[in-house]
Amino acid sequence: MSTTAEPTTLDFKVADLGLAEFGRKEIRLAEHEMPGLMKTREEFAASQPLKGARIMGSLHMTIQTAVLIETLVALGAEVRWVSCNIFSTQDHAAAATVVGPNGTPEDPQGVSVYAWKGETLEEYWWCTEQALQWPEHGGPNLILDDGGDATMLVHKGTEYEAAGAVPDPASAESEEFKVFLTLLTRSLQDDPNRWTKVGQDIVGVSEETTTGVHRLYELAKTGELLFPAINVNDSVTKSKFDNLYGCRHSLVDGINRAVDVMLAGKTAVVCGFGDVGKGSAESLRAQGARVIVTEIDPICALQASMQGYQVQTLEDVIEVADVFITTTGNKDIITVDDMARMKHQAIVGNIGHFDNEIDVAGLEKYDGITRINIKPQVDEWVFPDGHSIILLSEGRLLNLGNATGHPSFVMSNSFTNQTIAQIELWTKNDQYEKQVYVLPKHLDEKVARLHLDAVGVKLTQLRPDQAAYIGVPVEGPYKPDHYRY
Amino acid sequence: MPVLRSVRERFAAEQPLKGVKVGACLHVTAETANLARALAAGGAEVALCAANPLSTQDDVVEVLASEMLVRAKRGTDPRPGVAEVATWGPHVTLDDGADLIALLHEGDALVDGFLGGTEETTTGLVRVRALDLRCPVLALNEARTERVFNDHYGTGQSTLDGILRATNVLLAGRTVVIVGYGFTGRGIATRARGAGAQVIICEVDPLAALEARMEGFEVMPALAAAARGDIFITVTGTPRVLGAEHFAVMKDGASLANAGHFDVEIDLDALAAAATERRQVLPLVESFTLASGRRLHLLAQGRVVNLAAGQGHPAEIMDISFAVHALAVEHLVTRGGSLAPGIHPVPEPIDREVARLKLAALGVGIDALTPEQEAYRHSWGGAA
Repeated sequence: MSTTAEPTTLDFKVADLGLAEFGRKEIRLAEHEMPGLMKTREEFAASQPLKGARIMGSLHMTIQTAVLIETLVALGAEVRWVSCNIFSTQDHAAAATVVGPNGTPEDPQGVSVYAWKGETLEEYWWCTEQALQWPEHGGPNLILDDGGDATMLVHKGTEYEAAGAVPDPASAESEEFKVFLTLLTRSLQDDPNRWTKVGQDIVGVSEETTTGVHRLYELAKTGELLFPAINVNDSVTKSKFDNLYGCRHSLVDGINRAVDVMLAGKTAVVCGFGDVGKGSAESLRAQGARVIVTEIDPICALQASMQGYQVQTLEDVIEVADVFITTTGNKDIITVDDMARMKHQAIVGNIGHFDNEIDVAGLEKYDGITRINIKPQVDEWVFPDGHSIILLSEGRLLNLGNATGHPSFVMSNSFTNQTIAQIELWTKNDQYEKQVYVLPKHLDEKVARLHLDAVGVKLTQLRPDQAAYIGVPVEGPYKPDHYRY
Repeated sequence: MPVLRSVRERFAAEQPLKGVKVGACLHVTAETANLARALAAGGAEVALCAANPLSTQDDVVEVLASEMLVRAKRGTDPRPGVAEVATWGPHVTLDDGADLIALLHEGDALVDGFLGGTEETTTGLVRVRALDLRCPVLALNEARTERVFNDHYGTGQSTLDGILRATNVLLAGRTVVIVGYGFTGRGIATRARGAGAQVIICEVDPLAALEARMEGFEVMPALAAAARGDIFITVTGTPRVLGAEHFAVMKDGASLANAGHFDVEIDLDALAAAATERRQVLPLVESFTLASGRRLHLLAQGRVVNLAAGQGHPAEIMDISFAVHALAVEHLVTRGGSLAPGIHPVPEPIDREVARLKLAALGVGIDALTPEQEAYRHSWGGAA
């Protein structure tokens, strides 16, 4: 691990600053594929709308995220960063972000990053804590979150400080929550007002993903939300692009890099047919796999059926399928008893945000089971009867754990939304209550517009009489807010 | 039909078929009329009869009757017409199901100077092979252009069209069982999937079955599929691929359609025997109520559903197919005398010529090998 080097005050912890040159090369390629971010840099280069903003980001520390971070910096922000997943960091991206475009590994001049691939849970939450601590100013004034972990740390910390006590870590229902409670127990001893103060300084959060958004709406509903939140996930140019096209690209990439099995001819089960499930099913089918969908929502189930997918319960297909992918955002989708009944060397992976869709803890506790690590993020679990299953990325996001996540172009859409959301929260803060907002449609359309040239799209211009006929402005927005695309 | 038109224009100029009597036993449709006229333009005398009792377009018969001998009427037994054309004494025959060539081989009806025949379908070729063949027969449906266009694209599209016209059923969300994964089965399978159906394939050939599986289709024995399907389509060329045991487990309301040449693929006798009641529910849909109370819907009496319920192949497909026919007749006229009795493939130059004419009609340009590239391809490991 590299830590703070002498001539600079930059603090960080990444795997190896020697990887920075490789990271910088890939960042350079990615910049060309991320026209939304690069055009946003041009647009706001002079006005510096994020001047004075201290943004703490908790989002997969990849090459694409490096381009986002450097965009925020280019717009005037100070930034500290962590990954929101223990396996998703690309170490060369983290190194290049620390070194920055003008620094060297000996004299890094970029951004404080605390992230490396393969963190322990303790390390993960330690990193999150470090990124929430500015050396001179206390905490951040903005959070850019993916999955809501940073937001949760501030909220739970504030809640427990108000109560004067943290629940006993031994009572936690998951290993991760135990680590989380242990951290807060220590922090309460060190400074009984730490998170309360941090929360008071924060003027907003922009949230990247379905799961984090769900947490935010829950907080807003109970009146516990400490600051305004922008739901970036539900921008059309995010969820209908990142979740759908991103997963369509990276799911099969992850499976192939992990196990390199022929997907044609196999039977694959996709649990959940939301945007992520739709993209996942399409990519598996395109490989020649027979795809079966499981759903709890009758609308999504009927959509799957009308697209020609068989819709079954997991119970019906557990013994016949070769590949199982969870995309639900819910917990306990595939249990250890399910895995015990699967075919020999069935592949089990998750592309939903959290690792609780597959019962990995149950596997670990299963009587007589053996774990054979094939390579990083690929484990064969051998049951006592001799049959095994292959678990990808320990049940965490396999597209990031086994491959490199979504491609730059898709992430440019998501991250342009993020950048715009951060500008909104910073420059128009008085217009936002402690509620959850989605970006207005004209900004959503703007994000799409910024990406058209790069793919050679020629947009037809609405004529004034046509605009009047359907009752929209010539320059948009073109659809009502409830339009579903 | 731009390809057939360019063939016809050359025929008109060169008169390669002058004085030759061509007997054609085909589906009597507007596209077939264009073929008959192209042959006539090349100098041939043409007689036309029907290969199927339900596929004749009577308006076409009416128009052609003033130009040539035509014996066909929708809904009537085609056999007397075939017999009349056989007696007329053709030098060259065109068949779609081998009715005419088979009849000419009964007794000794082939005229002196008989040059040979063509056969359009896989099923017809099976019949031709069973004959004690005394002339050359060109296997048109084994031509590459034919396989690709007629079976895959033509029947692939028109079979579903026929089923939709007969039943007006929504394919999305339905389970379509396709029995047979040959060229036609593949064409139907991809289109049914594209329309949102779940597709199950039944096969006897392990290679074809594996291909279906690698394309992501579910593959299983027909008996297992019988309980799952909403729509069954037979495209095998084999009799009784769906029979009593299948009907017994099918769901209430399942539809049965055949796109293979003959009406033998669905066991109609067994279906009739299993039924306690039969009712015509739509013009081309007959409902069979089984003892269990479940109803099965038979489309177009189990005959080629794409022709009987739809309009057959689109003209573009028939354009390709009939251009091959026309050039095959020319080949028989110029070379027929030197060909041994037996089944012959369509010469590759005909395939290439038809494809070339079609590309020209589409306005598609393609590359040509350079002489060096040509030499390289014929050299040993590029050492030339």
